[in-house]
Amino acid sequence: MSIDIQQRWADRPLGMRDVYPQQARRRRQLESRLLRVFEHSGFEMVSCGLLEYVDTLLRGRASSEAEDWLRMVDATGRTVVLRPEMTPSIARMAAPLLAAGTREIRWSYAERVYRRTNDPASLSWASGKAAESTQVGVEWIGQSGADADADLIALCQTALAALGLEGWQMVASHAVFAPAFLEAHGLQAETVESLTLCLARGDYVGFRAVVGAVSAATGVPQDVLDQLSALNPLDADLPEALQRRFGASEPGRRALRAWGELRELAAVLRRRGLADRVSFDLTLVRDLTYYTGLVFEVFAPGAGAPIALGGRYDDLLVQFGTPAPAIGFAFEAERLLTALTEGDWLHAADEPADSGDLVARRPGATNRPGEEGSAC
Amino acid sequence: MLTIALAKGRTADDVVPRWRRAGLPVPVDLDDSRALVFEVDAPAHGPLRFLLAKPADVPTYVSFGVADIGVVGKDVLLESGREVYELLDLRAARCRLCVAGRPEERDRRPRRVATKYPRLADQYFRSLGVAVETIPLSGSIELAAVIGLADRIFDLVQTGATLAANGLVVFDEVLDVSARLIANRSSYRTKRQGIQWIADRLAETLAEEAVES
Repeated sequence: MSIDIQQRWADRPLGMRDVYPQQARRRRQLESRLLRVFEHSGFEMVSCGLLEYVDTLLRGRASSEAEDWLRMVDATGRTVVLRPEMTPSIARMAAPLLAAGTREIRWSYAERVYRRTNDPASLSWASGKAAESTQVGVEWIGQSGADADADLIALCQTALAALGLEGWQMVASHAVFAPAFLEAHGLQAETVESLTLCLARGDYVGFRAVVGAVSAATGVPQDVLDQLSALNPLDADLPEALQRRFGASEPGRRALRAWGELRELAAVLRRRGLADRVSFDLTLVRDLTYYTGLVFEVFAPGAGAPIALGGRYDDLLVQFGTPAPAIGFAFEAERLLTALTEGDWLHAADEPADSGDLVARRPGATNRPGEEGSAC
Repeated sequence: MLTIALAKGRTADDVVPRWRRAGLPVPVDLDDSRALVFEVDAPAHGPLRFLLAKPADVPTYVSFGVADIGVVGKDVLLESGREVYELLDLRAARCRLCVAGRPEERDRRPRRVATKYPRLADQYFRSLGVAVETIPLSGSIELAAVIGLADRIFDLVQTGATLAANGLVVFDEVLDVSARLIANRSSYRTKRQGIQWIADRLAETLAEEAVES
């Protein structure tokens, strides 16, 4: 059964969102602005096709990450995916150049990416998982070390300053540290895996429950989560007793190595005056498995999800044929716009310029996202 | 300002007294008003805005960031599949997610399952390697088993009195459920102080209660 209304207009597919003149201009201006900042730092824009083979995207990552990818079969019968992000495509493009002798690659991009989701488009642009969104980012291949990490953090902060966004908060962590820290406390690899998953989901209740269940048998402290979140490489070194203990085991030494990198980065950030806007939270774990070092997220009031995400992925390029260290980040353009305009950019011109043939609107009646055509 | 989405009904009834005991401000007329939005001032932390929402909507409000934090049952949280931070088990509004049915169905293969939790029911029966049809209903799930629409129900059980009154028995207990304090990912970073204050006060109260009992 359905209500008896004649369907006159062509449907817009689920999760898609139309963008009218003023809004589209705003988004393009934001993209251009960011690309200019990136270009100023030596990052040149590249572009590539929307489709990637599924085995390209799966290189160097867990198959569980593929759950929300939009797949289809191409003319030759191979499975292709509407890219969910740009990093694998960039790695695919860069690897042959690196193999041919290019030492360093600095690329930027502004492209649409796709995911399977049921969330309404305008809300998911602000806070959720969007079916279609625009990522504007950089990838820097060929450099490793704390100075390169700090350079990228500086670039992200410069871009935020150029946009005039206020009240943002950058949270940084290390992809290797939390798992190694937990394993060094004597936990089994599979327990560490489920704990890491809890952290990636933000399920602190689940984390404490798992720790509570194994605490007596393994001697891992009940408050290990609080210990982990209290660590701040900007403030203080690891307690000496812990350092001695960690030095005696392989996972412990892995944790110490990651901690050493964090301390070095913290020192560089402080020296370059970048530390004020970065807070470290070592319980932060990204759900992408290819990260190997620094990971960070940027949050802003008005957007319920990160406006920028990034990290170091030194082991990904080898999966594409050439070993090379790499780091990158991307802004979520629509989320940034939502934060910059307090959600207004989508309200500004929801009506097409000439709405003569549409539903008549009362003068002054405002049209909110998601309500087109249902007024009166 | 912090916005808090509270799941109306049993969850709010159980959690609000604990909230008071923790010394956190609660609007005076929360219990007996028909309003859905309440504001109250918290010294040193600015105003708190409470929203009374249908339980299933609380994860939606929090994940989209229109509420910074929320209080909702673990069952609803799991069923919603929303991305939020789960900060604290409030150990309130406790019950169990159970599989139940008429006694004579116990040894038969499950075929049709009526539930308010289609996602979780599907996940559960899949994990047993059983293919069932789920029938999404929105309330009085027991009825479906009584009149034979379904041979199993997958539902919350608190005391078991409703089941017993309808001649149904529990076949399996799937999950212990209680109210959780959840937070929006962005709010947790940009309004950390206020959220941590509430989480810490509640955690202290829970610890005190654990010692007393």
